[in-house]
Amino acid sequence: MKGDGVLFHAKHAFMPNSLGYCGPDERGQIQRELEGNRSDDALVQTLQRFEAAYPFLKLIARSSGRDVFDYSVPEAYWIGNRLLDLVPVSDFYSFSHHEIKGRDPEKVREVFKQLDGVAPPHHTFYVMSTYATTAVPDGPNVSNEARRKIAEVVDNCRISWGTVREVGKDELQVKVRRVTVDDGGLSLTGPVVKKVRYNPEVRPFGTVKEGDVVSIHWNYACDVLTPRQTGNISKYTHSDISLINRLMKSGEGRK
Amino acid sequence: MCVTRAGKVVSASQGRARVEFFDGRALDDVDVSVVNAKKGAFVEVFGNLALSVLSPAEAKRRKEAWSEVAKAVGATRE
Repeated sequence: MKGDGVLFHAKHAFMPNSLGYCGPDERGQIQRELEGNRSDDALVQTLQRFEAAYPFLKLIARSSGRDVFDYSVPEAYWIGNRLLDLVPVSDFYSFSHHEIKGRDPEKVREVFKQLDGVAPPHHTFYVMSTYATTAVPDGPNVSNEARRKIAEVVDNCRISWGTVREVGKDELQVKVRRVTVDDGGLSLTGPVVKKVRYNPEVRPFGTVKEGDVVSIHWNYACDVLTPRQTGNISKYTHSDISLINRLMKSGEGRK
Repeated sequence: MCVTRAGKVVSASQGRARVEFFDGRALDDVDVSVVNAKKGAFVEVFGNLALSVLSPAEAKRRKEAWSEVAKAVGATRE
């Protein structure tokens, strides 16, 4: 299971790393390992150099008594599963202060205070809380164009999911629900179809087919999800959105 | 995952900019139109979108924080 966990993690970390947004400059190596379905020590060492993702895995692992790359650990972080519920809020609070550098300690304190201890160490929550606590110029009066851009970056950066409608050579048409931003906060749109890239050399995409549900990161299909995972990513994403909207309504968000 | 990164705008034109981050990396096509950042400004970037402009004091604090991260993960590029 550990090898599966390494590959699952690498699949979801690959595209933002490839774009230069996080982690070491090792996209060629990660792609080769994924295409070869290899989870060797070199890949593990590269994944350990991601400044935020790896500390999150360590937090979930130590709270659940599992190996960092046990499949269930990166699955909890990227998709969501019951391991998130095992992380004591006090540990997540301490982690947010001491292991994720660069965040404003006062804002971290306020997020936990306003959410009354229900903040999960879930990737989507982290993405959305970053938006919610960043002081965008003009605050609530931000322009529609700025809102569109913010919603797009939040949507790209979270892990979304979609049902495959059509399989092309290196693109999939998928039915998704996008993040939108308005006066009421964040929400998901109704179903829309969009194109995402995929790599048919990475398992199991050689056999991807219409009706499969895939996880998506920066317009790249990361993996094919099981029905259980599809249920979980929906459940945890909706919960994250609800928490973030509560945070923003409390007045802490977008100060 | 995407992390928010702080850096300095070293060139800007028509809402797009090159930003050099405190972690030693850089991006050539950051959208700075939401914050209207100019050359020399310190910005906080999420993905490829600048979400806020930082004061010099806050930028200094972020730079120090990133130095700690770099040491911790062995990814120092300086």
